Amino acid sequence: MSESRSEGEPRRLAEEARDRVRFEEEALELADQMYRVARRLVGSKEEAEDLVQDAYARAFRSWRSFRPGTNLRAWLFRILTNLNIDRGRREQRAPDTQPIEEGDYYLYNRLEENGAGGDMDEVVERLSQDSIVHALSAVPHNFRDVIVLVDIGDFSYQDAAQILDIPVGTVMSRLHRGRRLLKQELAESTVGEHA
Amino acid sequence: MIDPCAKCEEVLQPFLDRDLTDAERLEAEAHLSLCEYCGKRYRFEESLRRYVREAATETMPPELKQRLAALRTPLI
Repeated sequence: MSESRSEGEPRRLAEEARDRVRFEEEALELADQMYRVARRLVGSKEEAEDLVQDAYARAFRSWRSFRPGTNLRAWLFRILTNLNIDRGRREQRAPDTQPIEEGDYYLYNRLEENGAGGDMDEVVERLSQDSIVHALSAVPHNFRDVIVLVDIGDFSYQDAAQILDIPVGTVMSRLHRGRRLLKQELAESTVGEHA
Repeated sequence: MIDPCAKCEEVLQPFLDRDLTDAERLEAEAHLSLCEYCGKRYRFEESLRRYVREAATETMPPELKQRLAALRTPLI
């Protein structure tokens, strides 16, 4: 019996090595998306690079806990978002008093009041890339995380819920509220202080 | 009675997310076909979403890709 076990051992090791190689290759194919999301979760390029690198190091160490056939992308991004939380980024607490939430037309109305109009692309182009990046970073993290995953990372509500370990309904409400807060930030940075 | 434009504003996000029921979507579409005010704001939101996505997207530095590849378990 022991002889047949030892004969099976090399085969088992070879299969495990093959599975691990496949796992690592599939995980690395998602690196661009990981960086894109990480870059908007943290404040600098350096932090984003460190975060992605740490996430991959952890993923490669714990690859056996991934169940083949399940959602690798969600599994990997969950590591990324958990690491970001572990790093204390959550020190940025949500303010005690929540900002007043304007409606979805608020940004357009403010831009129109301030002379923009006519061609829609021209109105949008009044917003600079920097103003968008800055406005996004000003959105409280619990709303921003959802915007980054769904609107920038292309995750479904269900995947974002799995990654952040929150109910789908919470993803939807944070997404809707977060987009409104983003537009308020954009209005304030583009056409002046909140009226 | 609720102002139809205020109602249309309320459903802007679920409309663009394709998250409305058929009845809600048809109601919004009927209003949008008549209301230039809301139509402009819906088109703006569509453009804004694309623009936010483009503006917020940064390409991964090639050196990072190399560092990630180096994390792989070496084959014996």
